[in-house]
Amino acid sequence: MALSGLGLVIYVIFHMLGNFQVFEGPLALNAYAALLRDMPILLWAARIGLLSLAVLHVVLAIQLTLRNRRARPIAYAVREYRQASFASRTMATSGVVLLLFIIVHLLHLTVGVIDPSSVDRLDVEGHRDVYGKLVHAFQNPFIVAFYLAGQLGLGLHLSHAVTSSFQTLGLEQAAFNRLLKAAGPGVALLVVLGNVAIILAVFLGIVRG
Amino acid sequence: MKFTLNIWRQKGPDEHGRFVSYEARDVSSGTSFLEMLDSVNQGLIAKGEEPVAFEQDCREGICGSCSLVINGIPHGPDRGITTCQLYMRRFPDGAVITIEPWRARAFPIIKDLVVDRRALDRIMQAGGYISVHTGGAVDGNVLLISKDQAETAMDAASCIGCGACVAACKNASPALFVGAKVSHLELLPQGKPERTNRVKAMLEAVDREGFGSCGNQNECEAVCPKRISVRFIAILNREYLRAGVVESGLPAEPESPHAEST
Ligand code: HEM
Ligand code: SF4
Ligand code: FES
Repeated sequence: MALSGLGLVIYVIFHMLGNFQVFEGPLALNAYAALLRDMPILLWAARIGLLSLAVLHVVLAIQLTLRNRRARPIAYAVREYRQASFASRTMATSGVVLLLFIIVHLLHLTVGVIDPSSVDRLDVEGHRDVYGKLVHAFQNPFIVAFYLAGQLGLGLHLSHAVTSSFQTLGLEQAAFNRLLKAAGPGVALLVVLGNVAIILAVFLGIVRG
Repeated sequence: MKFTLNIWRQKGPDEHGRFVSYEARDVSSGTSFLEMLDSVNQGLIAKGEEPVAFEQDCREGICGSCSLVINGIPHGPDRGITTCQLYMRRFPDGAVITIEPWRARAFPIIKDLVVDRRALDRIMQAGGYISVHTGGAVDGNVLLISKDQAETAMDAASCIGCGACVAACKNASPALFVGAKVSHLELLPQGKPERTNRVKAMLEAVDREGFGSCGNQNECEAVCPKRISVRFIAILNREYLRAGVVESGLPAEPESPHAEST
């Protein structure tokens, strides 16, 4: 669980950093996208690796969640939590939100079947115009709302997940504990802010076609 | 003082349970929670009704017998104490108090508020011991244990096995209990030789008993009457990873006989 999750976390960070090239204009982002697609073996290796990580993670998550539900067949009539954070108690829910988001996101921007009004074009350098597609997508308020909801799920999930994985791996040392504790919310905040910046920059017209 | 109690009543393990409301009148603020229940029971006995069954023994916070989830929190509203150490002055006059048993599949209800916690004993029997005789008290400075190590082991050893950690955990996981037991034995030289098999055997027993698994939500730490730190869950995880790396089936690593003189 922790290892498959951390693998996905590393991907999510690089995914965000890669997409920051939207701020360097269409040519930079399209060239980056073309660079990825120019290495079909690497690209497919990464895709298969990621997919198996994600499948492993989800299968383990389902097993764990079912097992944990079974462990308390009769719920408490009154329940008060003192310390367990909201994010930590809703990992399965935020995980399902994430899964739905990831599926729609792939169908939308990778496969390209969600938004029929989006057309594939080439830019002046002959690369596929990923930038144009992005700008087109994030001018639509429904798509923006959906992506922001996805980021909410991601933020909740990560804020517990990263710190939790450190504890699962037995990392604990008086001098570092505050750092380990802050890592979850910190990574979550950075990734969500970064992604939201891309979405809103387009929606608010700071980045345009 | 006067209180309204909503208490879980259940005749036996396979019976249907339900909440029954009772009034506790003329309670002095210095009454302990369990004494308050005693007087409610006296009233029930006088009326010829069945008294509420609850577990208790030492009534001074050291045996781990008392339980009760009080208004949604195991051992009630105060931190770092057991139910038997809780006093009625802690509640506002006229309060409604809901009292439930520990709820977990691994802790089946025996009657009313009494649950069967032998699952924790069976986890201990699986590996929570050392097999060698330690003999009488050793001479001073023969077995050197650093102060840090001794204190950490003592912190872990203060677990009284009450099961509040399981009761508080959303997943009904006993990780804090097992972490405390594994750490306290592993940290001391007498416990080291069997550490590899111990952690595996105890975690296998956890699975057999139908507990949930730890999600690092840390609610256990906040209700533990002995304030056991979740740090011991990290140590448990470390021990388990180590056991996975150290080849299984090998005899436990021998202690170097002269380690203390180097
Ligand atoms: C695809 C849908 C996903 C589902 C259904 C899902 C579900 C879960 C669940 C149920 C847990 C266990 C929480 C617990 O034991 O309390 C978990 C943990 C975790 N998830 Fe996810 N998750 C998903 C996606 C992701 C993604 C995309 C990432 C990374 C960005 C991620 C990272 C993690 C991490 C690091 C943990 C911590 C493991 C641990 O506590 O040892 N998950 N996830
Ligand atoms: S760790 Fe704390 S809550 Fe859990 S059994 Fe021990 S004393 Fe009770
Ligand atoms: S009765 Fe012994 S700890 Fe409460």
